[in-house]
Amino acid sequence: MKRIKQILFTLLILFIVIQFIRPARNHGEQAGQLNIAATFNAPDTVLSLFRNACFDCHGNDTDYPWYSNIQPVGWLIEKDIRDGKAKLNFSELGSLSPRRQMSKWQNVENRIKDGTMPLPMYQLMHPRARLTEAERQRLIDWVRKTIDTLASQR
Amino acid sequence: MRQYAVVFAMMVASLYGATEASLAQHQDHKAKSTSQDSSSIQQNRKESAGVNAKNAAAVKQIIASYLKLKNALVSDKSNDAAKAGKEIVEALGTLDKSLLTTEQAKLYEDVGEDAREHAEHIGENAKNIGHQREHFAVLSQDVYDLVKTFGAGQLLYKNFCPMYNDKKGAIWLSETKTIKNPYYGKKMLTCGEFQEELK
Repeated sequence: MKRIKQILFTLLILFIVIQFIRPARNHGEQAGQLNIAATFNAPDTVLSLFRNACFDCHGNDTDYPWYSNIQPVGWLIEKDIRDGKAKLNFSELGSLSPRRQMSKWQNVENRIKDGTMPLPMYQLMHPRARLTEAERQRLIDWVRKTIDTLASQR
Repeated sequence: MRQYAVVFAMMVASLYGATEASLAQHQDHKAKSTSQDSSSIQQNRKESAGVNAKNAAAVKQIIASYLKLKNALVSDKSNDAAKAGKEIVEALGTLDKSLLTTEQAKLYEDVGEDAREHAEHIGENAKNIGHQREHFAVLSQDVYDLVKTFGAGQLLYKNFCPMYNDKKGAIWLSETKTIKNPYYGKKMLTCGEFQEELK
């Protein structure tokens, strides 16, 4: 019993220590450069859906939940953001070639359609990211239009 | 005891996070060093039109792997498709950008990078043929544009499936004129139309 107490105490200390290891936060957009809304030629009804469901992990300015301050939760969130931005970063999408943009949008359409995005875990923690069927359709329609426009530019 | 388990789970999770972070850093490093390499050989760039023998072989390999992928999708074989996807990524890497004209290099930077991304996804989704086909649709357009610029070195046929992607349609390249549809496999094997001959 004494040993278990010792182990628990050690782990508690460790838990406290790791609280001080805090990854850099994803707030690049506030530093200037790119503004998502500017590279996005979308009406507010569409843009707000993207903002609520996608931009936290696919953009340069994350709206962090309170529990991101608790480690290792914060680390896991940071990993999701890093992975998300590596695949698709809406903040920088506008600077890609029409072909690359088209490609990315096609992936966006496919992922919304098959429901793999937004991630179920993200939806669980963010009620605002739960899209209704009508909202999903609105997003898909807009994305398809965007792809057609880009196709004519390529 | 349960608390112990919870804390332990947190420890494992944090360790995992830390390794991931260092791994990402490492990859970043690697990417930087390769981009440096390519810029140093850029001086040797030849400004002649056409494609030299080494790159012709690379393009041939890209096409061979692409056709392998196409045939795997025709026969609904997701694992083979994944293997071929990885081969495409490899083949794309063998093309020597320093031997291209400025114009070719510019196109390849765009098309090659796009193709690489889609081929990579295909390679990673061995259990999800629907997903592989989505990427194949975009990849096919990329390979078509590559062939248009670099030549195929063999006779190829551009075919069209009007049904795919909610009737938006999608093209594919084939070594045969006979229609064997890679987008639906045996469900709709002979559906599609011939569009263009490529050399």
